[in-house]
Amino acid sequence: MSSSESLEENPAQKTPERESGPEEPRVGVFVCHCGSNIAGTVDVEKVRETAERLPGVVVAKGNKYTCSDLGQDEIIKAIKENDVNRVVVAACSPRMHEPTFRNCIQQAGLNPYLLQMVNLREQCSWVHAQQKEEATRKAIDLVRMGVAKASRLVPLEAREVPVEQASLVIGGGVAGIQAALDMAQMGFKVYLVESEPSIGGRMAQLDKTFPTGDCAICILAPKMVDVARHPNITLMAYSEVEDVQGFIGNFDIKVRRKSRFVIEGKCVGCGVCADVCPVKVDNKFDLGYGKRKAIYVPFPQAVPLKYTIDKDNCIYFKNGKCKACIKACTNNAIDHEMADEVVDLKVGTIIVATGYDTYVPMKRGVYKYWEYPNVITGLELERLINASGPTGGHLIRPSDGESPRRVAFIQCVGSRNKKIGNNYCSRVCCMYAIKNAQIVKEHEPETKISVYYNDIRAFGKGFEELYHRVREEYSVEFIRGRPAKLTEDPETKSITIRAEETLLNKITEREFDLVVLSTGLLPSEGSKRIGKTLALSLSPDGFFMEAHPKLRPVDTAMDGIYLAGCAQGPKDIPDSVAQAKAAAASAASVMFGKKVKIEPLTAAVDEELCVACGLCVEMCPYRAPELYEGEKGTKARIIEALCHGCGTCVAACPQKAIIANQFTDDQITSEIVSALEDVGNGGDKTKEMAKKPAAEEEVS
Amino acid sequence: MGEVEKVFLSGLHEKLVEDKVIDESQLEPDFAKEIVKYGGKDVMTCLQCGNCTGVCPISLKIDYKTRIIIKYCQFGLKTLTLGTQWVCATCYRCYEHCPADINPAEVMIALRHIAIREGVIPPFIKVAATNLVKYGQSVKPDLEVEKIRKELELEDVPSRGAEYAKVIREINVLIHAVGYDKLIGIEDEVKA
Repeated sequence: MSSSESLEENPAQKTPERESGPEEPRVGVFVCHCGSNIAGTVDVEKVRETAERLPGVVVAKGNKYTCSDLGQDEIIKAIKENDVNRVVVAACSPRMHEPTFRNCIQQAGLNPYLLQMVNLREQCSWVHAQQKEEATRKAIDLVRMGVAKASRLVPLEAREVPVEQASLVIGGGVAGIQAALDMAQMGFKVYLVESEPSIGGRMAQLDKTFPTGDCAICILAPKMVDVARHPNITLMAYSEVEDVQGFIGNFDIKVRRKSRFVIEGKCVGCGVCADVCPVKVDNKFDLGYGKRKAIYVPFPQAVPLKYTIDKDNCIYFKNGKCKACIKACTNNAIDHEMADEVVDLKVGTIIVATGYDTYVPMKRGVYKYWEYPNVITGLELERLINASGPTGGHLIRPSDGESPRRVAFIQCVGSRNKKIGNNYCSRVCCMYAIKNAQIVKEHEPETKISVYYNDIRAFGKGFEELYHRVREEYSVEFIRGRPAKLTEDPETKSITIRAEETLLNKITEREFDLVVLSTGLLPSEGSKRIGKTLALSLSPDGFFMEAHPKLRPVDTAMDGIYLAGCAQGPKDIPDSVAQAKAAAASAASVMFGKKVKIEPLTAAVDEELCVACGLCVEMCPYRAPELYEGEKGTKARIIEALCHGCGTCVAACPQKAIIANQFTDDQITSEIVSALEDVGNGGDKTKEMAKKPAAEEEVS
Repeated sequence: MGEVEKVFLSGLHEKLVEDKVIDESQLEPDFAKEIVKYGGKDVMTCLQCGNCTGVCPISLKIDYKTRIIIKYCQFGLKTLTLGTQWVCATCYRCYEHCPADINPAEVMIALRHIAIREGVIPPFIKVAATNLVKYGQSVKPDLEVEKIRKELELEDVPSRGAEYAKVIREINVLIHAVGYDKLIGIEDEVKA
C-alpha cells in the first residue's frame, strides 16, 4: 500500500505529534448525519447518546457534515478540549474520507493512524432505508465495535522511500516505443528491452493501417529512429529481462544481452557481410515467404541497424569453416566467440508492453492451413501485399505464383471460439480483413472478394465509413456464415468453400483462388515468462490483468508496474499508442514525486516466534515476505513496500508470528466481542471482555 | 373464390399465410430452459454462424437447417421445431465444429423428448416401439433374411430362440414400469 503523494506541502506535518503511547484510551466519537443520507434512516442522536455511555468514550458529538471544514474544526476542538487520544468517525466508507480525517487528527497533534472509521452510510443507511429501527440498532452495534477497536489502536509511522529516476520498458513494439519516447521526453532515463534483433514489433510487419491507409512502417520508422537517437533512452535490442527484484521506486533488473556475434559498436549496417554469406534461410519476419542470409537484419528499416548471426544456420558454428563475413567486414565487427552478457539495471517503474502473437490454425483443422498452400493467414497476406515484402507488394498465390482472381477472407479464426478456449473477440480482424480487401482491390481491381463473417465489428473512429466504402466503391461481398468445409482442386489448387449463407438460408459452394484466414490475437509467447517474473495476474483470456477495468486500466495490482498495448488485451494501433502514453504518464507521476509514501498498514514478523518455515513466502501474492539470515538465524521478514496488507500470510502462519498492523488479532477480537454484546447491558460486559486480551498481552 | 381472386391469389394465398407476422402468443419464452431440462445445452449462446448446417450431412440432402432449428428454439417457436428434429442422425459433426460449444445434436435429442411429451409422435416411432415390445428390437425381423440364413446353414436369429421369450417378457415389464408404453400410446401391445 503506497501512494505517490508528497507530504511536503502538508501543513499537518508541522504540528509536532503528542505522545500517545500506553496511556488510558480517551475516545472521541463523531457521528455524521451526512445531510439526510444517514440521518434520514438512522436515529443519529440515539447513536450519539449510546456512544457517549460506552467505556473509554470521553466525548461524543453529532455533525451535519463531518467532512466539511466546520465538522473538522469541531473534531480538532473536541480533541484539544477533552484530551482525546483515539478518534472514531462514524460516517461514510473509509474509501471516501479516511485520508481527510487522518489529516484532520494529525493537525490536532495525534498520530494519523489512531483513527477508526465506522461506515454508517454505504453499509447501513443506504442499504437499510426501509428498516429504520433496525438500521439504528445496527449503527449502534457498528459504533460500539469501532470504539472497542479504537481503544486498541497503536500509533504507526508511514515510511517514505526514494524513487529511482529511471524506467524499464519491456517490449519494443509501437506501445513500448511510444511509452519510452514519452518518458524520455519528460527527462527520465529509459531502458527499452526488446527480444528480437530490431524494435518495431508487429506493426513493422504490417502493410497499411486501417482505417486511413497510412503505410505502417512509414509512420513507425521515424519513431524507431527517435528511440535510437534519444539521449535518455538506452536501447537494448536482442535482449531478455531475466530477473526482477524489489518494489516500486527500487526495482533491480537483470537483462541478458544475447550475443549477436557482431559488435554493435563497430557494425555500421553496410550489409557487405550478408552479400557474401552463402547460407539462405526463411526470414521469420516475412513468415517464411522471403529469404535471408545467416547474417542478417530482419528488415531494411531495422533499428538498431546492426547485423546478427543466426547461430543455428551459420556454417562456422557447424564446422568452424567459411568465415566469409569476417573477410568481407572492413570494420572487424564480427566476433564468433562473443558470449551473452548480463547487465544490472536499477529503475523506479516498469512498463510491460509485451504485445501479441497471432493464432496458429490447428494442424488438422477444418481450414486446412497446413495442407493447402493457398490457405494463408492475415499476417502472411500483410507481408505478401507489402511493398518491402518478399514479392514487392505483388499479391500471388503460393501454389503457382499467379495473381489470384477470387479471394475469400474467413473471419473469427481462433477468436470467439469456446471450443478452443478463446472466447474473446480479437478486435482487429474485421478491420484488417476489410482494409486488406480494399488494398487487394486497389492492386487488382478485377479481383472478386468475399468475406465470410459472423458479425462485423467496425466500432472505431472511421471504421464504419471504411466498411461502407469497401462494400460500395470496391464491391466486396460480405457473406454471413462460418465456412464448414474447404476442399482443394488437385489440378488447379483452387479451393472450394462450403458454407451456409445464413442470411440466404442456403448452403453454397464457391471456388476461390486464395483463402485468407483472419486469425485472432493471443498473448505473446514471451509474456508468460515476464508475467511470472513480475508476479502479474492474468485475466481469464490470458492477457495481463489491469488493476481496475475502468478506472485503472493501465495499472497492475503491483505498484510501479504498468501495462501498455496488446499485453493487456487485443487492441488496434491507436488504442495501443493511447495506452502507452497513459502508462508513461502514470509511471512519470510516480517518478516526478521523487519519493513514495509506504503506508504502514502492512504485515510484521515477530522474530521470536518465527521458525522460518517459509509458508508466508509461498502464500503471498505480492512476494512481500522473504527469508534472510539475521542475528537470530534464518527468519522471515516483510518488505513493506511490496506488502498490500491483505493478511494472507497472517492467516497462513502456523506460529502466529505475523501480525497485520491495525488488524491485529487483539483488535479484531475486541470488535467481534463487542459485536456480540447486547445493547441493553452492553456497557459493563464490553469493558470486562475488552480488558481480558490486553492483560494477556502484558504477560507475553 | 371469384375469377379475379383466382388470378391474383391462386398459389399466392398459401405464401401469404406462411409469411404473416408471428404473434407473440405463439412464442414460448421459456423454451430454452425446457431444452436444458431435457438434457440440451443452453441454445441462447448460439451465434447463428451456420457452421452446423454447413457440416450437417442431412442438411445437404433435404430441406433441414440445424441453425434454423436452433434459432426457433432461441425464439421460442416450439410448434415449428416439433416434428423436424427426427431427421438428425446424431453424427455429432455439428458438435465437433460448433464455436459456441452447444452440441446441436443433443438439442435435437432434447426436442424429441419434448415432442413425445407433447404428443407429436411420428408413426415410425410407434412402429419401432411396437417392434421393441414384440420382438425385443426396434427393427422387425425380416422373414426373408431368416430364410436365407437357413439356406446358408446359419443359426436362427436370437429373437427366434426359446430363451428369447424371457428377454422379451423382461423388456415388456420394464417398458410398462417406466410408463413408456403410455407415453408412446402402445399400451395395447404391451403384455405386462
